[in-house]
Amino acid sequence: MKITGVVDLGVAIEARNLKKTYHTKKRKGLFRSETDVVEALRGVSFKVRHGEVVGLLGPNGAGKTTTVKILATLLIPNDGEAYVEGYSVTREAVEVRKRIGLLLTVEKGFYGKLTGRENLEYFGALYGLSSGELRERIVYLMKLLELDKLGAVDKLYEEYSLGMKARLGLARALLKDPPVLLLDEPTLGLDPPSARKIRGLVRELAKQGKAILYTTHNMFEAEIVCDRILLINKGVIVVEGTPQELKAKLPKLRTINILLRNGSPESLRKIVLEAGFKPDVETTSEGLLQVKVSVQNPEDVLGDLVKAIVGKGYDIVTLRISEPTLEDVFIYFSQTGG
Amino acid sequence: MSFKDIIVAEFRFVYADVFRRKAILFMFITYPYMLTAFVLLIGYSMGSASVFMERVGIDPAIFFIVAGFTLMAILGVGDDLLWRPLFDEWMGTLPYVMASPVSRIQHYLAIPIPRLILVLISGSTSVVPVLVYYYGLQGLFEGLAVIIMAGIASLMFVTLVMAIMGIVYGMGGENWRIINVLRPLFLILVGAYYPRYLMPLAGRIASWFIPSSHVIEAIHRMIAGLGGPIDILMLLGIATALFILYAPPGVKSIIYWEKSKMREGVNV
Repeated sequence: MKITGVVDLGVAIEARNLKKTYHTKKRKGLFRSETDVVEALRGVSFKVRHGEVVGLLGPNGAGKTTTVKILATLLIPNDGEAYVEGYSVTREAVEVRKRIGLLLTVEKGFYGKLTGRENLEYFGALYGLSSGELRERIVYLMKLLELDKLGAVDKLYEEYSLGMKARLGLARALLKDPPVLLLDEPTLGLDPPSARKIRGLVRELAKQGKAILYTTHNMFEAEIVCDRILLINKGVIVVEGTPQELKAKLPKLRTINILLRNGSPESLRKIVLEAGFKPDVETTSEGLLQVKVSVQNPEDVLGDLVKAIVGKGYDIVTLRISEPTLEDVFIYFSQTGG
Repeated sequence: MSFKDIIVAEFRFVYADVFRRKAILFMFITYPYMLTAFVLLIGYSMGSASVFMERVGIDPAIFFIVAGFTLMAILGVGDDLLWRPLFDEWMGTLPYVMASPVSRIQHYLAIPIPRLILVLISGSTSVVPVLVYYYGLQGLFEGLAVIIMAGIASLMFVTLVMAIMGIVYGMGGENWRIINVLRPLFLILVGAYYPRYLMPLAGRIASWFIPSSHVIEAIHRMIAGLGGPIDILMLLGIATALFILYAPPGVKSIIYWEKSKMREGVNV
């Protein structure tokens, strides 16, 4: 059996104004307790289409995992509604469960005393696959994720490396060949070959028409894996778009990066400030001074900036104009809240 | 997905676990003997077998080997159900189990069956040899009857345990620790080691509400030769009635647990 799925640009996942508040009781002495209220989601709405990888990016506690759990029918929202393949996650949970593949964390989630194959057989049976179908599917997935090459098929799960665990987790998510995949930080802590394997496979699965919601902290990964990115912060989606669109939304687009050989950071900062720029000055590990100035049109101001620096006797080693990275976008919107 | 598929999945899980943990396999076979030896040692050091026979009506060796075996079957079912949510939470498997389209009720009904079958098979190494030693061929039949009735007693326990499990876990937090208190209480009240008719009134009343306790009384009557088939059938009837009575709260309780888990969020 192959990974199948018709390429369909219809909406596979839709979240409408999702809100979730957690109430946690904390003991304050023998008879007293206080309730902590945390607003995890404050009205999250988005869509994921078939054949699309949508990245959910945000700092810790932003609401990424809460969103994934709601879509996976593992958490009931306080307000709002979400649909997977047109089925409501709250009212038609069983139908939703038939259509999703889930990976929540790569570190655990399997039975240690069972082998990789036995674990997949167990979960496959819970997912409703017949034994013949299951056998065929396991062989295919073990090969696809190269678990057979790693000798992991009949190895106890408790003896797995993190990379093997991640691959087995993805194999489980793909067991019933679902049209929708919910992947929560699937490459977290992985060695580069395993991370690359998983990223490549995710792109391949999207090409085959699967709708994929992908959470990550890794900007590089988000840029290469995701078609669209939703930046979530404090329970709200602050900005969304393709990686290029997000970079274009930064108010100061490009950075002039100058490396200098001599002088003190304080006097350099003063010189650049006097020239009318807001610099970021630091000393590199090689003992050089580095000045970063973010501006809209570097070509228009570069002459003035260089003149101001060289005029005070500084020696320029290199000069580079760089495009903003997704990390800049992430930091900017996380700090400003959009 | 059929109930059979779920049972097959659970068989796979339990058997791989049991046969890879040799200590568990060893325990399955030796537990009734160890408990019998332990109780008899204490018993003989403080009293006499004849006094025991006078009061209980059965030879202490037979009584305790049957009690050890029956209790292992019943508590195995209880433990499998009561600890499974916690075990799945520790292993990080709970979200994947809950995100599967399987019926939660069917799943929890299937969970204790594989281990119960293993325990019942192990009866051939404990109850049967002892009864054959004492009663010859008749002992063989009695041994098989004890195994069947221990299976019934264990299954009769399922709906009550489901009802308790759902409520305990549904309450959330550390409330599951109540199980640590309930387990020894069941151990006493089920009447395997402590026949119901020797219990104080409060104990007798509490014991009456446990379906398995009636089956255990039926086993005691059978091996002691007290009462006829009508008495035994009546006891089985009461147990079945209680099993049916606890079924609706058992189902509701599991649904309550699932919903409360979904409200607080299933953690990995």
